[in-house]
Amino acid sequence: MKRTVVLCAAVLLLVSTAVYSFGDIARPKDTPKSSEGKTVLYTSMTVKPDPKAYEARLQISQSTLQRIAHEAGNLSSNDSMTQRLVHSSARTMMAGLFMFLAVSFAGVWFARSSQRRNHKAIASVFLLATVFGLATVIVRANAGPPGYLRWQGLPQNLKAGKITGGGVNIEIVPGDDSEIRLIVPLRNTNQPGEE
Amino acid sequence: MLTATRMERTANIPFTAWPNALARSRTRTSVRSFALVLVASACLTAVLASWLPLQVSIVTVFLFAGPHNWFELRYFLMRLPARFGRSRNFFAVAFAGIFFLTAAYLAMPALYYLNLWSGSNWPDAIATWNTLLLLWLGALVILRGKQNSRRDWFWTLPVVFMLCALNWLGPQLFSLAIVYAHPLVALWFLDRHLRRTRPQWLPTYHRCLILLPLLIVGMIWQLSRTSSLADDNGLFWRITQHAGADLLPRVSSRLLVSLHVFLEMLHYGVWIIALPLIGATGAVWKVRTIPLARRRGGFPKLIAAVLVFSLFVVGLLWFGFSVNYPAMRDVYFAVAIAHVLAEAPFLLRMI
Repeated sequence: MKRTVVLCAAVLLLVSTAVYSFGDIARPKDTPKSSEGKTVLYTSMTVKPDPKAYEARLQISQSTLQRIAHEAGNLSSNDSMTQRLVHSSARTMMAGLFMFLAVSFAGVWFARSSQRRNHKAIASVFLLATVFGLATVIVRANAGPPGYLRWQGLPQNLKAGKITGGGVNIEIVPGDDSEIRLIVPLRNTNQPGEE
Repeated sequence: MLTATRMERTANIPFTAWPNALARSRTRTSVRSFALVLVASACLTAVLASWLPLQVSIVTVFLFAGPHNWFELRYFLMRLPARFGRSRNFFAVAFAGIFFLTAAYLAMPALYYLNLWSGSNWPDAIATWNTLLLLWLGALVILRGKQNSRRDWFWTLPVVFMLCALNWLGPQLFSLAIVYAHPLVALWFLDRHLRRTRPQWLPTYHRCLILLPLLIVGMIWQLSRTSSLADDNGLFWRITQHAGADLLPRVSSRLLVSLHVFLEMLHYGVWIIALPLIGATGAVWKVRTIPLARRRGGFPKLIAAVLVFSLFVVGLLWFGFSVNYPAMRDVYFAVAIAHVLAEAPFLLRMI
């Protein structure tokens, strides 16, 4: 009991000093806000040449349009986790504090378990962590090809009158420009000096 | 001579073996029936929840939300010891936590609707409440662990703190996780009761539980590509929001509502059908099955009054649903946090 009280006191002391030391750091300058859009929906899109059409047409299903409208209305809640954390330093600090406490108490538990020679439990925890780590590495190796590959054949397909399909992020950009822009990820595959 | 020996052997067969064989056969049949009912109910529930999620959600909450709370109250009274003894501290912390956390949970929307709080720091308030909940659970676990010297539940502390950290990273997502995890607690209660009252059913029950992740994966596979539900009226919007449509905008709201309804129906099924059938709540009309009423100097009249009053509240809930379903649904899901909290100490008492 006495040891736990001493440990807790040490932990609190360390945390309080950390807070004060952070107080000496100058406030970072506000970074200028980028004018880039925010992704509200990821879906698929096909580009289809139509020799009989007089105007380009953009066809969107009603449900997709409703989803876009809905997401556009909730832009603030659709921020990524990192963005949300950046906007709330208090929450980040609280999360950090509790992570610190979790690791500290896990250490105490680890030490107590070692005293009781509970090696099986510790070994299983390490094994589990290793398995998760390896699984993460393996899963990343199975990631699909980058999205731009699907769009590589667009110029040739347009010339041949064929359909090209691929993934598309629908972004809402700031401003009141009425122009709709389609940005296609085409990589220049020509070798140097080939042009 | 040989015939005579055979006759003698037959005569020597102990009569006591026959009832045992009959009992074994009866047990096998009952286990099979139990498994069949579990599998059929789970499959039917999954199909209904996937097919008509909004409609089934409305009907299910209307019919079963109140009664399942009554059965839970009846069950908790049954599990409450006649005298607290060494568990006095445990129950003191448990009841204080239930009261304080419920009051705090109800205070948040109340303050907002009374214009006493703008709700601007809503995520921080939710994160604080979740943290208090986790710390309360941690305290209960430690207190329960101390009641038996062979238990060392110290490892739960780092887990609790890690959960607190995750909660502060995404408070609303953490609350949503509670919404989805809470129905599964009923399955844990059923497990503990089978362990005590029908241990021969337990392996079958565990095998049936494997079906649950399979059904969930099947629902995700079937519904993840479907278009979101049209939440164009207030009630449908509330249901999709409750299932997390706003927090998980890239997931089809049909999938979210279906999954939530599926889990809720399982939860109601366990409390209203499974646990009373295996005798976990005692004969519902007999107050004397409750220790607090049975003991010398107990409170049978008070317990009976509490149960009758609760029945009246269930009736009132049905009336409220009939008059204004959306508003009553909001009120119910706010007040229902009390039963979510109450499950924790009683589950811990069974571990």
